[in-house]
Amino acid sequence: MVLIVLMCVERCLCLFLVCSCFEQCVYFIIICMGDAAETGADFSEVFPDLEGEEERSGDFYNTPASPITVPHITRPPSTGSQKSPRSRRQRTTSINASTNKTVTDSLLRTPHRTIYTAGRPPWYNTAGQMVEPFVIGICGGSASGKTTVAEKIIAALDMPWVTLLSMDSFYKVLNEKQHELADKNEYNFDHPDAFDFDLLLKTLERLKVGKKVEVPIYNFITHAREMRTKTMYGANVIIFEGILTFYNPKVLDILDMKIFVDTDADIRLARRLRRDISMRGRDLEGVIKQYTNMVQPSFNHYIAPLMIHADIIVPRGGENEVALELIVQHVQTQLQLRGFKLREELAHSFVGQPLPDTVHLLPMTPQIRGLHTFIRNKDTSRDEFIFYSKRLIRLVIEYTLSLMPFKEKCVETPQGVLYHGKRMATDKICGVSILRAGETMEQAVCDVYKDIRIGKILIQTNFHTGEPELFYLRLPKDIKDYRVILMDATVATGAAAMMAIRVLLDHDVHEENILIVSLLMAESGVHNIAYAFPKVKIVTSAIDPEINDKFYVLPGIGNFGDRYFGTEPSTEHCQ
Amino acid sequence: MGSSDLEMTRGIENNFDDFGKNLKVLPANDQIKELQTILRDRNTTRSDFKFYGDRLIRLVIEESLNQLPFTDCKVITPTGATYEGLKYRSGNCGVSIVRSGEAMEQGLRDCCRSIRIGKILVESDIETHEAKVVYARFPDDISKRQVLLMYPIMSTGNTVIQAVNVLKEHGVQEECIILSNLFCTPLAAKTITKAFPKMKILTSEVHPVAPNHFGQKYFGTD
Repeated sequence: MVLIVLMCVERCLCLFLVCSCFEQCVYFIIICMGDAAETGADFSEVFPDLEGEEERSGDFYNTPASPITVPHITRPPSTGSQKSPRSRRQRTTSINASTNKTVTDSLLRTPHRTIYTAGRPPWYNTAGQMVEPFVIGICGGSASGKTTVAEKIIAALDMPWVTLLSMDSFYKVLNEKQHELADKNEYNFDHPDAFDFDLLLKTLERLKVGKKVEVPIYNFITHAREMRTKTMYGANVIIFEGILTFYNPKVLDILDMKIFVDTDADIRLARRLRRDISMRGRDLEGVIKQYTNMVQPSFNHYIAPLMIHADIIVPRGGENEVALELIVQHVQTQLQLRGFKLREELAHSFVGQPLPDTVHLLPMTPQIRGLHTFIRNKDTSRDEFIFYSKRLIRLVIEYTLSLMPFKEKCVETPQGVLYHGKRMATDKICGVSILRAGETMEQAVCDVYKDIRIGKILIQTNFHTGEPELFYLRLPKDIKDYRVILMDATVATGAAAMMAIRVLLDHDVHEENILIVSLLMAESGVHNIAYAFPKVKIVTSAIDPEINDKFYVLPGIGNFGDRYFGTEPSTEHCQ
Repeated sequence: MGSSDLEMTRGIENNFDDFGKNLKVLPANDQIKELQTILRDRNTTRSDFKFYGDRLIRLVIEESLNQLPFTDCKVITPTGATYEGLKYRSGNCGVSIVRSGEAMEQGLRDCCRSIRIGKILVESDIETHEAKVVYARFPDDISKRQVLLMYPIMSTGNTVIQAVNVLKEHGVQEECIILSNLFCTPLAAKTITKAFPKMKILTSEVHPVAPNHFGQKYFGTD
């Protein structure tokens, strides 16, 4: 079945060939360039990104733990197969906010508050199960414009939490002999053997199931991996680009959408010449020798045949607006099909069932009831609110520590007799607070556990959808080995707590090593967490029966963060 | 030696009902056991000793405050709902026995910011070992107040008996006194419960060996 669509877009004659190939539907988009475009090609078309190609400051080497916001930059020079010492091309990025989005786009101003909207909506369902991210593979010859296409897709998608993974990160570490060859322009960086497909596959597989990955940083001077790695986490869309992205059949299976960027060989050579000679001071002879001996044969042998796997073939790379628009539309449709409405569903489940076994409720002593009386009273001043909530927090944290594993220990006393006591069986405990209200509990954790590491996760409720969204996280690097005290002051539906637990699990923390600790929980929140994560320990000082339509607990405390930090909407101004 | 000590400890812990219902031991958990272990360990550094000592003190004080009388009350929460809570009566005060009792003052201050704190200095005669009160300063109206008496280590109980006697001389009712204590020997427990059956006592552990180094190590005068 072959369908031919003819279109005329300005000076370009576009020919769409849509054909069904075996089981998979393969779209071929062949766009023939009009004469004017071909002959009148000025440098800006062939070299669209000459400006700002100065060596980037090495600040991405200092990039913090994931996810980070990468400033939008014009495309740095492609390095091709000869890797210049100056090529610090940052092609592997993880962004949590659309880069070309202006600040005002992600702000909502209501009369009394400013709301930021750039978080990550839930990527799991009520049972805590994952939704897989959408993986786009981009393949094409060297200097064909893959990165430009990737960046244009990211810009057009206009959504947070996109990860761009480059195949360049997975070059093999060279031995001495290969290193020498590389210096003489005789090592073939365009051959499939130059890549570590095992590591690449492992990384992609983990990203696909939403786990945190450590992506190597390849140093093109030493041809080895740097000691540090780049942490990537939390993508709704993963874009994987490189010259041989379609080469490995297992990698092909992971890709949800396969794009081949097909740029004319002359243009690719012209771009390479320009880059290598004027940007890196290499001689014409060497570049051409390398191109004819390795780059071009490799393209013909390995890269060009991969075109058959593509769902879409994009001629002319990043300038092809029509193709990009089609791609973006398809991705958005796919993402909408995967979306969740989590909180609504959470609020109405499990009413009136017995409390699960994982709940550890503090014994309700007169003091704890007295403290609750103070902090629940709407007329309590902030000074008193802070003081009494701190006292309650301290008790909750002390109780939490008593749930850790202990071992018998015999110590010598100054009185000369032995004392049979106990010591904690682990020294790997860290705290993670869910901003903002969870932060109020950090001090108490530091007060009871010396030198504890504290991670932070910022989750805010989306003003429009009522869904929690992940904005920011910073966790200790080896968090998977730790017992984690996850802190939030109040838990209503449990939506934010579940998101935070999901984040921890994605970072390989063992489920049984997580304790979610709060001052007050709603019964439904307890059930939701226990149902989705049956091994997570739940610690709280009180469980209230209801949640109102604004997802506040009843009788509750009100908005704990607002009351503690003094940011409650001013009622005087309203009246 | 060690194992027989352990058996003794267990035997006593199971039997502290003997001292009457007014002696309460902090509900035991592994966490509290760890704190006690650290405080008893001769290899604990001073900085650790103070850190973990303060933690145990805080827990004992919090539990002592549970013994204070209260009345039920209702409050309106910010969501407009009613919470059935409780209210403590005002008119409490703390009294620390100098010097080691003062280590517990900060713990009390952390819980009750502006509570009045009195002091008693009891010294033992070097020759007769008899405890003698040499200084006492209380709020004027102490006779109308609930008194939280703070003294961390009791091995014979003599010091506390003298202190309580002074309080009683100032008109404080025996049943209005709550004694906060960290470590107590069975001997001291017996002596005190016998002498003042109506006084409430809260401790974290009853054990035949008292860590008598507490005050010196806490204040760094060892």
